[in-house]
Amino acid sequence: MQTHQYDVVIVGAGGAGMRAALESSTRARTAVISKLYPTRSHTGAAQGGMCAALANVEEDNWEWHTFDTVKGGDYLVDQDAAEVMAKEAIDAVLDLEKMGLPFNRTPEGRIDQRRFGGHTRNHGEAAVRRSCYAADRTGHMILQTLYQQCVKQDVEFYNEFYVLDVVLTHDLSAGTVPDGEEVSVAGVVAYDLASGEIHVFRAKSVVFATGGAGKIYKTTSNAHTLTGDGMALALRRGIPLEDMEFFQFHPTGLAGLGILLSEAARGEGAILRNSEGERFMERYAPTIKDLAPRDMVARAMANEVREGRGCGPNKDYVLLDLTHLEPAHIDAKLPDITEFARTYLGVEPYTEPVPVYPTAHYAMGGIPTTIDAEVLRNNTDVVKGLFAAGEVACVSVHGSNRLGTNSLLDINVFGKRAGIAAARYAETAPWHEMPDDASVATVEYIERLRDHATGERIADIRRELQETMDRNAQVFRTRDSLTTALSDITALKKRYRDASVQDKGRRFNTDLMEGVELGFLLDLAEVVVVGALAREESRGGHFREDFPTRDDERFMLHTMAYQRVRGDGQGTVELDYKPVIITRYQPMERKY
Amino acid sequence: MATTIPAGPLAAPRSARTTRSRGSSRTNMEMVAWLFMRLSGVLLLVLIFGHLFVNLVQGEGINRIDFAFVGGKWASPFWQFWDLAMLWLAMIHGTNGMRTIINDYAERDRTRLVLKVLLAAAFLLTVTLGTLVIFTFEPCPIGAPADLLPSFCPAS
Amino acid sequence: MTALAESTTSARAEVGAVPSFDVTLRIRRFDPDNGAEPRWEEFTVTAHGTDRVLDAMHKVKWEVDGSLTFRRSCAHGICGSDAMRINGRNRLACKALLKDLDPSKPITIEPIKGLPVIKDLVVDMEPFFASYREVMPFLITHGNAPSKERLQSPEDRARYDDTTKCILCAACTSSCPVFWTDGQYFGPAAIVNAHRFIFDSRDEGAVQRLEILNDKEGVWRCRTTFNCTEACPRGIEVTKAIQEVKRAMITRAF
Repeated sequence: MQTHQYDVVIVGAGGAGMRAALESSTRARTAVISKLYPTRSHTGAAQGGMCAALANVEEDNWEWHTFDTVKGGDYLVDQDAAEVMAKEAIDAVLDLEKMGLPFNRTPEGRIDQRRFGGHTRNHGEAAVRRSCYAADRTGHMILQTLYQQCVKQDVEFYNEFYVLDVVLTHDLSAGTVPDGEEVSVAGVVAYDLASGEIHVFRAKSVVFATGGAGKIYKTTSNAHTLTGDGMALALRRGIPLEDMEFFQFHPTGLAGLGILLSEAARGEGAILRNSEGERFMERYAPTIKDLAPRDMVARAMANEVREGRGCGPNKDYVLLDLTHLEPAHIDAKLPDITEFARTYLGVEPYTEPVPVYPTAHYAMGGIPTTIDAEVLRNNTDVVKGLFAAGEVACVSVHGSNRLGTNSLLDINVFGKRAGIAAARYAETAPWHEMPDDASVATVEYIERLRDHATGERIADIRRELQETMDRNAQVFRTRDSLTTALSDITALKKRYRDASVQDKGRRFNTDLMEGVELGFLLDLAEVVVVGALAREESRGGHFREDFPTRDDERFMLHTMAYQRVRGDGQGTVELDYKPVIITRYQPMERKY
Repeated sequence: MATTIPAGPLAAPRSARTTRSRGSSRTNMEMVAWLFMRLSGVLLLVLIFGHLFVNLVQGEGINRIDFAFVGGKWASPFWQFWDLAMLWLAMIHGTNGMRTIINDYAERDRTRLVLKVLLAAAFLLTVTLGTLVIFTFEPCPIGAPADLLPSFCPAS
Repeated sequence: MTALAESTTSARAEVGAVPSFDVTLRIRRFDPDNGAEPRWEEFTVTAHGTDRVLDAMHKVKWEVDGSLTFRRSCAHGICGSDAMRINGRNRLACKALLKDLDPSKPITIEPIKGLPVIKDLVVDMEPFFASYREVMPFLITHGNAPSKERLQSPEDRARYDDTTKCILCAACTSSCPVFWTDGQYFGPAAIVNAHRFIFDSRDEGAVQRLEILNDKEGVWRCRTTFNCTEACPRGIEVTKAIQEVKRAMITRAF
């Protein structure tokens, strides 16, 4: 076992983690721990752009952006946070440009902007050109640019280290620590993949930026490595997760594969059609049609398929039509996604429409934080020194449905805020004792997984989990489907306890880490389903067929899910609720 | 389902790349060498094809070549210079090419050194002898049969 | 007539069903912890028409031998984790479709060449990233930053577009015969990333980068074998980029 000491430890080296590192490493001694090489992070897969009311190509205003974000999130957005994000978006884009990000340019040489789903002029009048972009690889450029800056600043990275525990001064998992008591972070426990060794990092501040958990679903645009590590670690240590039942399904995943085709395609003029060739979005969102927010488009698509207007031999997808666009325009603005269609489906987007179907894309929920990225352990108290930013966190700027491009914005705005806050806190904060047995639980956990001589395969359990989530907790949900999912998950969790990994070695044991990650996925899937069962309404990304309307009376609240460990040592999910912060915009019906 | 076949040995892990000096190097040997290869290549094309044309095509062509023909050419400073340029450029060009091949394919420093020493020796030997021959060539050796000698020799 | 009818029915049954086939992967395995010599191992799995090499490898890992070790993340050619040598050519396992590789013959899979192997298909990427870091792959500017964005014309932006696509997967560098020899050469990927800034109109560090690459192990070791261009999963014209850097050095020197 090795021990390290840093003022600030950042967990995760995607957009949010590296943006935080750029801020904190100039102010305090900082280490970034990542289970991947930083440039492998899934920020790089984001395509369409990053919205900011620069007004470079047409009139725009950050207040309109705030409104769109709030409305897009079906009013479950904390409006103070949305204001911060929309206002700081402008600087976030300019910061990136100054770091060297190669944005597409207008003829005058300024940053070009294009339309994107749900972003409108003057509170919904018409689509507005707000998304700053670099072809259809904006996320790639952001990730590369941030990494370049980290190289420039000589940020210290621990690559291919898995953080497996976060150490707090109090045990919150039983729910016995009274409100108001000061709880602080002491550090994290990590596993070095290359050697199999345990490293303990003592830190004054810890920033979680571990990203999403798309792998609870089978069809997903997420990377294999997006297993919700940070969320699950917090949950296990008694920190709540907020609004986890809201999961975004991106309308245009490559059918059957889930690979993302950016909304930018529709921003550039592509049209969704059903088997009759009808532009069906005209029926669902008469004003902005194909550029309606993702939850509405995804539901519309699923509905077309359900009503028998799907395409293909099994009538199980719809078509994204780019054939009316100029090939040169497609090449200039959407080169990567058209190549995906060619490579993976053998479809030529110049001449043929591309089969698409919704794919699990983004967790709106996560670790609850304040607008300064401090992690909340209940509705009011923060855990001192613990911060979270990016998809792992829930500020909440996305409410029940995130608008396209707002995730790249989220990681930049709140990544920066987290980095600054973490370093500031570390300036004055005391060191907290790291108990000698800090790593014991982690070692026991992985050894148990490794030592089972025989047992079920991790992959089998994971596959069953993903299948039940796809079947029962996807775009359309009912009490019955969710109950089925919950009982499946409970059974799978039981089987997981006896599962075994085949690779018993120490060096680069990815089999073992997949086993650990499955534990995270199971915990998170349970939180998603329990939250979805309790939320008897339909809002944003959460649609209950048995409760098809929004119910502001009962559910204009954030879900706060806790994993409480009772006598038998097994955790159960308990729910609480937190009020939504409303500043300017009273909830209205959401029509586009 | 799975079968195993032994594979050849793995390449041993190599030493990490050594960080290089950051000294200013507005021009350096490698760039000069790279440029030389391109320029000498063009020059050699002219020299070699000129040489081939004069020797093999012009006049009676190949049937003309004998001691007298060669002797006659090397009596002229123009052809002495031509052939000298051809010799030097071709030798430096070829030697440099061999040097890069050694750099690219010899993995151990020792092997590299040995090969490069051999290469340098071969270069020096060829260039020295060639140059000597061009400048010390005697077109009218004493006692040679007159019909083999160039027309300007006093013996004929 | 009967035969015709039969074939029509069976064809109808197959409509929509993705054809599946058996494919054999011949994978180079190596685990120094077990003291084992490197060996070839063959696995036969059932794959579907749209499956990639990565899917077949996952099938092996998840259903046959969990100890098979390789890196992967995004699985659609954007993160650059899974560069490997497939049938003798460097590719991303997630972008190589089985049906394009003639699945009737065993598909050989080896780690990329020129970097030390850690286990199975996993190599030590540190030397590769060390080269990358040496070319100062970040925007260098002097003077005060403007309050708004720096202006750049679409033409100036297009000048270096190709090399911004790099995902640092190392497919190019590990396909380069010069790099294979001793690993001292900077390698195509580092030069590509230097190119991205040298030709960025906003950047003011071109001179420093050119000096770094004017090294004995710099661009002059490129033999224009075009292996890198062929290997690049992002379609970057790597060799062209290297030549452009050479040209920039010559024009600067004279």
